Amino acid sequence: MSRRGPKALFITIVLVLLITPYSGMSGYLIRLFATIFLWIGKTGCWNIISGHTGYIDFGAVGYYGIGSYVTALLMTKGHVPFLVSALAGGLVSGLIALPIGLPTLRLRGAYFGIATLAFAEAMKQILLEFDKTVEVNFFEGPHGITLPMGPPNEFFYYIGLAIMVAVVGITYRIRGSKFGYALRAIREAELAAELSGVDTLKAKVEAYIIGAFFLGLIGGVEAYWLTYITPHMVFDVFITIQMVVMSLLGGIGTVFGPVVGASFLTILYELLHRDFPYTYTIIVGFIIVGIVLLMPKGIVGTRTTKGRVRKI
Amino acid sequence: MLLFLQSLLNGILLGGIYASYSAGFSLIFGVMGVVNIFHGEMVMLGAFITYWMFTLFHIDPFLTIPFSALSLFIFGYLVQRFVINRVVEAPPMISYILTFGFHLIIAYTALWVWTADFRTVTTGYSGLNADIGGIIIPYARFVTFVLALIVVAGLYLLLNRSEVGRAIQATAQDKEMARLMGVNIHRIYAITFGMGAAITGIAGSMLSTYFIVFPQMGLPYTIIAFCVVVLGGMGYIPGALWGGMILGVVQSLTATYLSAGLSGAFTFILLFIMLIVRPAGIVGKGIVE
Amino acid sequence: MAILEARNLTKYFGVLAAVHSVDFSVEKGEILGMIGPNGAGKSTLFNVVMGVYRPDKGEVVFKGKMISGLKPHRICRAGIAKTSQMVQPFNQMSVFENVLVGGLHGKGLPLSRAGKEAEEILEFVGLGGLKERPSGSIPVPARRRLELARALATGAEIILLDENMAGLNPTEIEEVLRLLREIRKQGKTLIVVEHIMRVIMGISDRIMVLNYGEKIAEGTPGEVANNERVIDAYLGEKRCFA
Repeated sequence: MSRRGPKALFITIVLVLLITPYSGMSGYLIRLFATIFLWIGKTGCWNIISGHTGYIDFGAVGYYGIGSYVTALLMTKGHVPFLVSALAGGLVSGLIALPIGLPTLRLRGAYFGIATLAFAEAMKQILLEFDKTVEVNFFEGPHGITLPMGPPNEFFYYIGLAIMVAVVGITYRIRGSKFGYALRAIREAELAAELSGVDTLKAKVEAYIIGAFFLGLIGGVEAYWLTYITPHMVFDVFITIQMVVMSLLGGIGTVFGPVVGASFLTILYELLHRDFPYTYTIIVGFIIVGIVLLMPKGIVGTRTTKGRVRKI
Repeated sequence: MLLFLQSLLNGILLGGIYASYSAGFSLIFGVMGVVNIFHGEMVMLGAFITYWMFTLFHIDPFLTIPFSALSLFIFGYLVQRFVINRVVEAPPMISYILTFGFHLIIAYTALWVWTADFRTVTTGYSGLNADIGGIIIPYARFVTFVLALIVVAGLYLLLNRSEVGRAIQATAQDKEMARLMGVNIHRIYAITFGMGAAITGIAGSMLSTYFIVFPQMGLPYTIIAFCVVVLGGMGYIPGALWGGMILGVVQSLTATYLSAGLSGAFTFILLFIMLIVRPAGIVGKGIVE
Repeated sequence: MAILEARNLTKYFGVLAAVHSVDFSVEKGEILGMIGPNGAGKSTLFNVVMGVYRPDKGEVVFKGKMISGLKPHRICRAGIAKTSQMVQPFNQMSVFENVLVGGLHGKGLPLSRAGKEAEEILEFVGLGGLKERPSGSIPVPARRRLELARALATGAEIILLDENMAGLNPTEIEEVLRLLREIRKQGKTLIVVEHIMRVIMGISDRIMVLNYGEKIAEGTPGEVANNERVIDAYLGEKRCFA
């Protein structure tokens, strides 16, 4: 089947990436790769939620932020080791995704997008104002939280790689599974799916929670890496936007689309953002318009040959 | 008690302002089903047109309104005609991704060209207030409020009494039927978008007299327009007034009695609840997909 | 005992009763035809049975159990499936995958079993040759057959066909009728809504007639064809012949 090709390629690349740091890769490149891995991870999560079901989530950063804060608080106030804290971040995000997902996933189209955006923005505002309002010293509001110093970049390189493999792997497994068929059916024709026996709400919520868990985990990892977080940083809607665009570019709903899209845009950002900060975003805007008008399936998705359905 | 009344009045004035720039958003969604994510950028463009005309040519802000209305109408018309019309038949997701792309392009190009500096339009009357029994009513806001009512009423009348308006309504209600009756759907869409843009531009021009003008101001306006229109009912023009008032009053009261920052959180929580409990809006006349 | 029974079903849209106090029952292995002018409430009735709408009054009982108020996917898994008037294939998925979804989720089969059954069903309905094609790109008659195949894959005991034959030419119609008779031989029950009179008269054991949301007649094809109220409904001054 045509999936063997990209899968084999991906595995090969991963194996190569496992050993490249030892070949004397520069610190800059290690950091760049780690950044790319984590963006692939984030985009992959968004893709699990939105790419498959067609419900465009504009609040994904909410879970990333929750994960960041849970991890930061556990590490600073509870002195809990990093890995446990990050996993806790993922778990809390996943748990919160349930009461948020259940009502919102019943909404259609634009309303789901607005509701999820409202959720993420509300989280940001709450974390900014909570301490002041309730008069405690817990979330630290706009002052932010400083985490303990972390290990060198290589550590995050490998964690990023692991997460990327996990997310891509899970997407791959989902795609060919009963669950994956349910999600795709929902995207194509939700009512018909429901009438064919698909428990649409359950499937949507499950995808949403899986995505939220990993986003929370990644949030925790990046909080540790950044060493300092504020609500504005980790609940930044631009993070969601990046996830959306990377998915679009690579191909919504495909397994390797996020890999291609995230890699391309992260590198583009690296090249542009120092000298031409606004240009990156303007280009992203044009990419979006271009893709919608010319190549709606993204780079990977458009490789579906006419008349035959290839599963990528 | 005085504090409450002042807060309430502030909220109502604010609400009228919200309504003025949300009506266009509701119109576009109601007729075409397009959620226009660069809506806030049209407010921004209107504000900047006024800013430049005021700063460079010393034209009074309220006199720049026709110019900004016309410019935005043309802009909206062209965008719809040449770009958005191509995706109007596609699933809604496509149109909001597309409009989102435009948001990035417009906002960041403006940022690049005009820099991030904050600007204000300060006229002779900018700071003047009326004082009625201890309650302060800023003139500029009050005039804007009245203008907002006029604009919304005008839009409503246009839609119901003019031929173009009726063609628009027909298209909104039943596209195929309208087409069969000889209506050029794509032209109507372009006109509608132009109208929505023009109204929003007018609002932007008026706002420049007391809100800060800067290229990134757009997104919060888009978000507030979402909120207003969900509260009042998507696609239902008078609903923009209801939604605006409710939002304005809620924000004003939470800012006065709780904290300014929390009023932001409240807005989003209110929006979230409305979407789940009553997506058709307070009066229940909104379009639910 | 009737395999499906509806008692006093009523559904309002606003103040309009799209379906009003409808009773009907179907025996296992029967083919029940349902006719009525446009807007009579036939599709709405199907949607109420399938759980897409909750009835405002009345109930639906399937094999002795109340199903009204359950979600559509539960009703599907219990054993009722419906084809839609506006066909809704999973466009980007292949014909095979469309049917697969029915088997996976409607019948609850594991992937390999569902795959085998999907192949068999596609052969049965005559779509075997198109199975790898994206379902959005096949011709209309094939899409209708796909709806039927998907319904069969869910393991349904009762299939509701909502104008599945609209727009087909006489040869295609004969093909579908042959298929339906085969399906009935397998022990399934069918409720068929169609506007083409000779089709309904030809295939149904019994016919039920709706008008303005109410059942106005029921009986054998012969009885119904001669029923005054039915003739009035179709040829009455205010209605066009459907």
